Formats: sequence, C-alpha cells, structure tokens
Amino acid sequence: MFKFAPYLLKTLWRHRTRTLLTVSGSAVALFVFCFVLTVRQGLQRLTQQDDSVLIVFQANKFCPATSHLPQDYDQVISRMPGVRDVVPIQVFTNNCRASLDVVVFYGAPAEKVRRVRDFELIDGSWGEFESHQDAAIVGQALASRRGIQVGERFSVGDVTVAVAGLFTSQNRAEEDYVYCHLDFLQRTRGLDLVGTVTQHEVWLEDSANPEQAAAAIDEKLKSGQIETDTRTKGAFQASSLADLIHLIDLSRYLGWACLFLMAVLLATTTIMTVEDRIGEHAVLQTLGFSTRHVFRLVMSETVLLSVVGGCVGIALAVLALSQSALSVGAEAVTIAFEPSWDMVLTAALTSLVIGLIAGIAPAARAAKADIVTALRFSG
Amino acid sequence: MALIHVNQVTKQFRKGAETITPLKEAELQIERGQFVSLMGASGTGKSTLLNLIAGIDKPTSGRIIVDGTDITRLSRTKLAAWRARNIGYIFQTHNLIPVLTAYENIELPLMLLPMNRSERRRRVEVALTAVDLVDRANHYPRQLSGGQEQRVGIARAIVTDPTVVVADEPTGDLDTETSAQILELLERLNDELDTTLLMVTHDPDAAAIAERRLKLDHGRLIEHAQAAAPAVHAGAS
Ligand SMILES: Nc1ncnc2c1ncn2[C@@H]1O[C@H](COP(=O)(O)OP(=O)(O)O)[C@@H](O)[C@H]1O
Ligand SMILES: [Mg+2]
Repeated sequence: MFKFAPYLLKTLWRHRTRTLLTVSGSAVALFVFCFVLTVRQGLQRLTQQDDSVLIVFQANKFCPATSHLPQDYDQVISRMPGVRDVVPIQVFTNNCRASLDVVVFYGAPAEKVRRVRDFELIDGSWGEFESHQDAAIVGQALASRRGIQVGERFSVGDVTVAVAGLFTSQNRAEEDYVYCHLDFLQRTRGLDLVGTVTQHEVWLEDSANPEQAAAAIDEKLKSGQIETDTRTKGAFQASSLADLIHLIDLSRYLGWACLFLMAVLLATTTIMTVEDRIGEHAVLQTLGFSTRHVFRLVMSETVLLSVVGGCVGIALAVLALSQSALSVGAEAVTIAFEPSWDMVLTAALTSLVIGLIAGIAPAARAAKADIVTALRFSG
Repeated sequence: MALIHVNQVTKQFRKGAETITPLKEAELQIERGQFVSLMGASGTGKSTLLNLIAGIDKPTSGRIIVDGTDITRLSRTKLAAWRARNIGYIFQTHNLIPVLTAYENIELPLMLLPMNRSERRRRVEVALTAVDLVDRANHYPRQLSGGQEQRVGIARAIVTDPTVVVADEPTGDLDTETSAQILELLERLNDELDTTLLMVTHDPDAAAIAERRLKLDHGRLIEHAQAAAPAVHAGAS
C-alpha cells in the first residue's frame, strides 16, 4: 500500500482547502478531547492515590476553615497500632468554593514536610525554609502562574510568607500549594488557633488496613473533646471535590460530542471525496485494482486526515496544558491539569479509531460501486 | 485455438419494467495478434461487448474464454487480478488520473504486478518511447493536449504487455488530424508488438485500418467483407 502513498498525498494536496479544513476541524475536536481526558485523569490521580495515608478531619465539617482539631490528637494517634507517622496540618485557603485560582497554605512542622513529601527544590534551600518562622516553599505550578520567586514575600489575605524555595513533585497537584510552618500559620491570622489544627495526616505501615485503621482512630477519639471523621486521602479528596467531580463527570459528554463531531466531519469529507472520484475509482478498477485496493485507498485517506488532525490537536493541547499550569480546586484540594503520556497515547489511538469508523462506510461504497455504471456516468 | 472465445453470450439490462438485450447469443473468436474493429449504431451494445471481454462486466449467460481462462467464472477479486495481467483498456476520454504525471499514470498498472521499481521504470520508458512522449513524462494531464493525453492512455494500456488491448472509441473526442495519429499508433503497436487489439468505433475510416471488421446489429455480430475497404497494411501482415 505504501507504493500508492504519492497518489494519496497528491490527491489530498489537490483538494488542499478541503484537506486543511478537515484537519483543522479534527484538530480542534481532539484538542478539546485532550482537555477532557486530562481533567479526568487529574481527578483520578487525586482520588485514587495514597491508600496508606489517612486524613483525620473534624466530623461533619467540610471547609478547612471550619475544621478544628486539637493538635495533641497527634500524640494519641501516633501511639495506635499500624501508624508510622502523624503530621498535624493547618490549612488556609483564600477560597473554599470551586475556583480556577485557589491558593492553599499548608502549615506543617517543617522537618515533617521534608520527610513525608517527595518535594525537590528547584530554587532556594531547605535550610532557609527550616530556619525562618515565616518562610514558605511554593509549588512550581503556582509559582509560575503567579510569578512568584525566591526571596520575595507573598501574601494572600492576612497571610504573608517569605518565599524560601520552589518545589516540584511527582504529584502535580502538590505543586499548587504553599507549605509553611505550622505554628506560623496558627498564629498569623488574628484567630487564636494555637493548639488546634485543621487535620491530621496519618501515614500507615504497609501492613495496616486503611479502613480498619480509620475506623479505629474515629473510635478512639470519640471520647475526646471533638469528634473526628477519618478517611483515606483519596476518599477525602474525592469528597472535598464532590461538586467538581459532578461537573467533571459531565465533561465526559463534551468529550463524546467532540469525537462524534470529528467522525461526522471526516465521514462528510470522505463521502465528498468518494463522490468526486467515482469515475477515477472505476478507471483504477478497470486497470486491475481490486475492491480491496480501492477500499484501502479511501480508508488510508480518511485515517491520514484524522491522525494528522489528531496529532496537531494533541500537540496544541499538550502545549497549552503545560504552558498554562492550569488547575481547579475546591475546599483546599486542587486538581492539576497536567498532560501525560497516557493521555497522548489514548488521544492518538482515539483519532485513529475515529478515522477508521468514519471511513468505513464511504470506502466500502467506493469499493463496491459497479465499474461499468460508474464509467458510463462519469466518462 | 483462438485467443478469445465469446460463446453464446447474452447480456440483458433491466430498466424498471423493460429489459434491454444488447447482446443475444453472440458468437465471436479473435486470434492472437489480430486487429479487430467493431462498428455499429449508437446503443447497439458495442461497449457492452468490449466490457465483457475486458472483464469489467459479466454476461447474463454464455461464456467468455480468454487465453484458456473462463473469465465469466472468476470472482470479482480474481477478475481484478486477471485484468491487471491480461487487459489493456483504452478509454474514450477523461481517463488519466489528474493528480498523477504522465509517467505516474503509466506506472500505475505496473504497481499491481510483482515488479521492482527499476523494472517498472524500464517498462514505463519503453511505453513512453512507443507513444513518443518521453519529453512529457513529468507533465500532468491538464498540461497535455487531447491527443497527448490519449497517447498516455495508450501507453498505460500497453505497459503491462497485456494479452488483449481493448479500445472504446479511442478517437471519439479527437479532431481528424489527431485521430489519424492515434490510429496510426494503434496500427503500429499491432504490427510491431503483435498486440491483439479490439477497437470499437463509429468512424468507418477508423474501422478500415483494422485487418478484420465486425458490425454489431440487433445483438448479433456480422463479419464485414475484407474486400469492401482494403486496409493499407492488409497485404503486409
Ligand atoms: N449499465 C447499464 N444499465 C442499463 N442499461 C445499460 C447499461 N449499459 C448499457 N446499457 C444499455 O445497453 C444498450 C447498449 O449500450 P452500449 O453497449 O453502451 O452501446 P454502444 O456502446 O454500442 O453505444 C444501450 O441501450 C444502453 O442504454
Ligand atoms: Mg459505447
């Protein structure tokens, strides 16, 4: 079939306006599809991760601004079986509702941040962060979105921190957060929060059962001054993002619609091509081309259009996603929109399949057309 | 044994309620190397017969045997492969692929045969030389005159060295002078390459160059007397 590549390319070039329009349309459709995929994957990463990490929150509270747990719960929890480490965390966010530009401050004991997170500093130093009360390290995505640099001061509302470092993380969602000292965040906001935290992050031993451990913690703290609600980090983030998850779930239909439109566009173009060339295909068959040859020629043309359009759309989406460092968050949890190889591969494969589906009927029609009739009506 | 046997061939077309029968139990035998012309009024079934022999259509009944193969029994796929090897088809008009150059058009049927690029090149060059268009190899159909286009069509039909070359009114769209050139070319191919040629035409002068002339009338083939209009080369062959 490669022998006929020049014929194929020349045919597409001859109808270059049509070719260009179809490729552009397919590119736009796949661009949007990539966004949808990326958002869904971001969400999936967030809610399916960290089964061995639990979040202890105040029972019946949803926004981090309203959850207040005694800090010394960490002592109780850390003595429980199966618990490896407990990190008391004070959370401060500028916006509890769903927003595209959430800034979230996590106040935690500095040495614990370094221990339990996989952060790598791309600028600044851990020493700077650990030695200054008002120091903070800022995620790379947030920093690039807001233009934050090491050495600057950065404020949101009443909170002002000195930027001691910028970090990257395997978990792109982390790169939307600011980490500062726990006691600094407890003191800084005029509220008397000393001694209380928003949540405790509990790291379990590998052997521990997360559900049982969570139930045990809630049971143990039932007798304490404030009741708790403990879930795995994935489940916790899923419930924080519940409203968004609903919306993101709807985006699935947007994705399907894009693919459907792309298929319609490609099929229309292919039908036009086939009708234009009834006579040409009859001539080819007279020369000895089989129905299979003609079928494959038409299919190749459609698949080429869809894959080229798809690749352009994917490339643009990857560029846009990685440039914009976009994320959406709610209740101090953010979903990062990060392009992944998985997404690229899925999208590329999808464009191939769409091309095959769109081409199949017109190609079959072209191949099966009666030679003599076609010659009589086009010659 | 004749190269082509048309044996009791009937072809019917259905047009709504009525049935047209352009060929009724037609009989024809063509020897290898013969140049046969086929005349007849418009709509008598000349193209239909030609298409049956070329294997792009199937008879309602009867058999067509070409070089020992009963082509009426071949599947559509097998028939396509058979055409690629055995048939050269010269159309009346509009038959070149517009996006391909003269060279690429002529090369096209060779792509279907097991042949490497250099062998294809050699064959295309021979065919281009035969039709005297070596200097137009890289021209596109729209850059060629009607006569040149038709010569490319002829080169494409002979490039595979087929068993039979059929031509359906090859001069139908050309002016007198160009027609004469094309006819002369066909005659030369028949002479020099010993190509078996079946040509449909409605032009008596064109028909006259063939060594054997047939007329289709009411579904039957009538042999024309050789003496009626002696062809120039009749004595030579
Ligand atoms: N595919 C077809 N469908 C219906 N009728 C056809 C078809 N092909 C040919 N015919 C009819 O058969 C008759 C012979 O056609 P054709 O062989 O093209 O004639 P000629 O080439 O001698 O002018 C005509 O009446 C034509 O209308
Ligand atoms: Mg005709």
